[in-house]
Amino acid sequence: MSISLCVIVNGNEHHLDVAPHHTLLDALREELGLTGTKRGCEVGDCGACTVLLNGKAVNSCLVLAAETEGAEVVTIEGVAGREGLHPLQEAFIREGAVQCGFCTPGMILSALALLRENPRPSDAEVRQALSGNLCRCTGYAKIVQAVLDASDASLVPGFGRPEGLRPSR
Amino acid sequence: MADNQKAVGVSVPRIEAREKVLGRSVYVDDLRREGMIWGKVVRSPHPRARIVHVDVTEARGLPGVVAVLTAADVPGDRYVGPLVKDQPILCSSSVRFEGDAVALVAATAEEVAETARDAVRVEYEILEPVLDPIAAMSPEAPQVQAGGNVASYSKLRRGDVEVGFRAADVIVEDSFSTQMIDHAYLEPEGAVAEVDAEGKVTIWVCSQYPHYDRQEVARVLGVSLARVRVIQTTTGGGFGGKFGSPLVSCYAALLAARTGRPAKVLYTREESLRTTVKRHPYRIHYKVGATRSGKLTAVEARFVGDTGAYLVVGRAVVGKSTSHGAGPYEVPHVKMDGYAVYTNKAPAGAMRGYGVPQVAVAYESLLDELARKLNLDPIEFRLKNVLREGSQTATGQTLLHSVGVAETLERAADARREMTPHLKTGKPYLKRGIGVGVSWHGIGAARSPSQATAYVNLCGDGSATVLCGSVDIGQGSNTLFSQIAAEELGVPLDQISVVTGDTLTTPDCEATTATRVTYLSGNAVRLAAEKAKGTALELAAKHFGCLPEHLILARGKVQVPDAALEISLTDLFKKHAVQQISALGVFSPDCTPLDPETGQGSPHATYGFGTHVALVEVDQETGAVRLVDYAAFNDVGKAINPQAVEGQIEGAVAMGTGYALSEGMIFDRGKILNPSFATYLLLTAADLPPVRVGLVEAPEPTGPYGAKGVGEPSMNPVAAAVINAIYDAVGVRIRELPAVPETVFAALKTRQPLPADR
Ligand code: FES
Ligand code: FES
Repeated sequence: MSISLCVIVNGNEHHLDVAPHHTLLDALREELGLTGTKRGCEVGDCGACTVLLNGKAVNSCLVLAAETEGAEVVTIEGVAGREGLHPLQEAFIREGAVQCGFCTPGMILSALALLRENPRPSDAEVRQALSGNLCRCTGYAKIVQAVLDASDASLVPGFGRPEGLRPSR
Repeated sequence: MADNQKAVGVSVPRIEAREKVLGRSVYVDDLRREGMIWGKVVRSPHPRARIVHVDVTEARGLPGVVAVLTAADVPGDRYVGPLVKDQPILCSSSVRFEGDAVALVAATAEEVAETARDAVRVEYEILEPVLDPIAAMSPEAPQVQAGGNVASYSKLRRGDVEVGFRAADVIVEDSFSTQMIDHAYLEPEGAVAEVDAEGKVTIWVCSQYPHYDRQEVARVLGVSLARVRVIQTTTGGGFGGKFGSPLVSCYAALLAARTGRPAKVLYTREESLRTTVKRHPYRIHYKVGATRSGKLTAVEARFVGDTGAYLVVGRAVVGKSTSHGAGPYEVPHVKMDGYAVYTNKAPAGAMRGYGVPQVAVAYESLLDELARKLNLDPIEFRLKNVLREGSQTATGQTLLHSVGVAETLERAADARREMTPHLKTGKPYLKRGIGVGVSWHGIGAARSPSQATAYVNLCGDGSATVLCGSVDIGQGSNTLFSQIAAEELGVPLDQISVVTGDTLTTPDCEATTATRVTYLSGNAVRLAAEKAKGTALELAAKHFGCLPEHLILARGKVQVPDAALEISLTDLFKKHAVQQISALGVFSPDCTPLDPETGQGSPHATYGFGTHVALVEVDQETGAVRLVDYAAFNDVGKAINPQAVEGQIEGAVAMGTGYALSEGMIFDRGKILNPSFATYLLLTAADLPPVRVGLVEAPEPTGPYGAKGVGEPSMNPVAAAVINAIYDAVGVRIRELPAVPETVFAALKTRQPLPADR
């Protein structure tokens, strides 16, 4: 048995036939070939599969594909615009927030959801918003910095790192 | 590099960052092949059992199932392992840990393969598992491996510890235990294999050492090395865990060879946590003596590393503890005894730091105890003893250069001063404290000879290709290689292409482990580039009728700066009928192996050092510990890419703090109870403060541009610093890692006199 549905992924409408127990992660990767969304655990613990579902960051491994009828989904493949990389992507590159890169798509989408709701987050707010996305390589420092860099807060003088905690060399 | 333009020492973004932020990098799970089948591994639910019977009839009969293999179906050797071949890729007579592989199934869809896996019926005779490594050492204990449970014994003898302890005014002694942890890279292990029309096998795998995977696959299939090609896919972290257990490559290869169809095997997170290699848990006993004036006189230690069911690299891990167990200090009398012991648990293998983080917790805890007894400041005390240029290590190696540990301590003292105003919490139940941890790490494996090899192909337009067997596992070595080649050849970074991780095209450079890539492979790349440049300059010298020393190569042109003459490489090559210049760079570090009886020798050409400072807050009502501030100072020789080096250190701080506070495999009678990230607790962004990183550069004359490496040296002192900070906060000595709330709370209850209120 399969379920037919229509879902908008990165602005394009897709008609899919999915098994009732298949997740949004399965549908994105297997049906649509959007492999930028990663599977790190498939049980909602790691955040590598984070996408935007109607503007909210969700673990796509915890969402049944069948539930997404009519929904709008944004994956990492849909973050850059025609004009080029999204400022978050630019900041991730510039700040050295990418190491192995396996957590990167999920991190960027969680950060995107945060900045849409809160364009001027504090260091602590960024950390809270990313706390569902695990990273084993970076210790999060440069990821948090990249998100702050890409936020409106970056327009405020002396933003970002708490006072007295600038890295010294 | 050309005039004002430098590539080395610059924080250039990593070369593949763009494709990673776009989600376009291809990891092993992203590969699809026409007609691909999915493999799954049938695993033992028992830590120790005899296999009575394996019934595959039902599994074989399921629609969609294309293969069910047991040990009898393996065409070549059945055992693998980097040091000894003791791990069966499929067990036939007995299983040695919960998760040991018994059979392999494949089906046209992943879900069908899962059903088939569960339909394989295995009858076991359950045996009492060997779980405690100390009890396992007794000759009466059941034998995990035929040769006995003591897998290796390594020792170090320097001076006479009896004499050393007699000379001591204060002696401290204590026991510690550290837990088993997982590498927990975000990408689980996986491989895809395909057989071509000629029967040649290609494997795509996330790996730290494709050439080693090739060796094992060739042995298991019973074919020559030249018939197997291993290609490393973009690898989502390694930290030692994707080296030394090439099982997943063998599974995919076996299925592809058997069925003629492309086959994919991808571990689930649970499988990864339950069955792949881990960090060795240790039981440790230390005794350290010092004079009243604060000079260390003797260190004596005995430790047992639980290597689980198979050796993997256990002998070398414990050997590293032995050679590093006296810390980066001058100690005249040292005695170390280290054992790797088999038990019926998941095999322990290489993990960032090898055996050093374990012993660093012990010796750094005891140095703090000594400092307290001697009424000395912990940093001052360490500075009196720390290695300096000209010092001899515990293995009797004289360090002539690049000993920056004292400077890391001095910078740590400044950081501690900056943290001190933040010790107050204003709440009586919240106590804060500052701890220091110092450590070191020999660069490269303690193996001699060891070698790195690279080719550089210099093209007529000045651009170049680097071919090197050392793979990038996320730490950024491909970017580093391009920086080095660009620097030598005088071209912008985008004029360098780097090829790594394909056994067909790149030389075997040994594994991406042991903090060896910057130093060994970086040197090989630099030497190859230098040689290619030298050949070009010789050609040009003939052309200009001058000496090559008077020429420079930049942006594809050879220039005679004095005479303002130049010729493009294109013209030069044409004139001499040269298509491109290919050069080979080979680098072998200068080491001498350790004497097996005394542990004396020069096992590493150079060492990385670090001092870390942690500020923690302990909630006395719950035992919860929070990291509030952290400063890390590492002597890296030279930071070829400072941003990448900082990134390594920041990652190590998170990993090391998790080791100290939250991570650990929990066992019940040999079975892992927490094989998920909901129960195996990695620290999140919200658990960590910003980390200050300070780079110390005591140049290593034999390193590329003075560089040494940072991957492991940055990991080693973290847990020690955190544990010492807990003591400083609440006056309890945590001897058993991790310092989870229960452990800290229990220790607080037995605490003797309360420390003076802050
Ligand atoms: S794969 Fe979805 S949270 Fe890990
Ligand atoms: S960059 Fe490797 S997990 Fe985040």
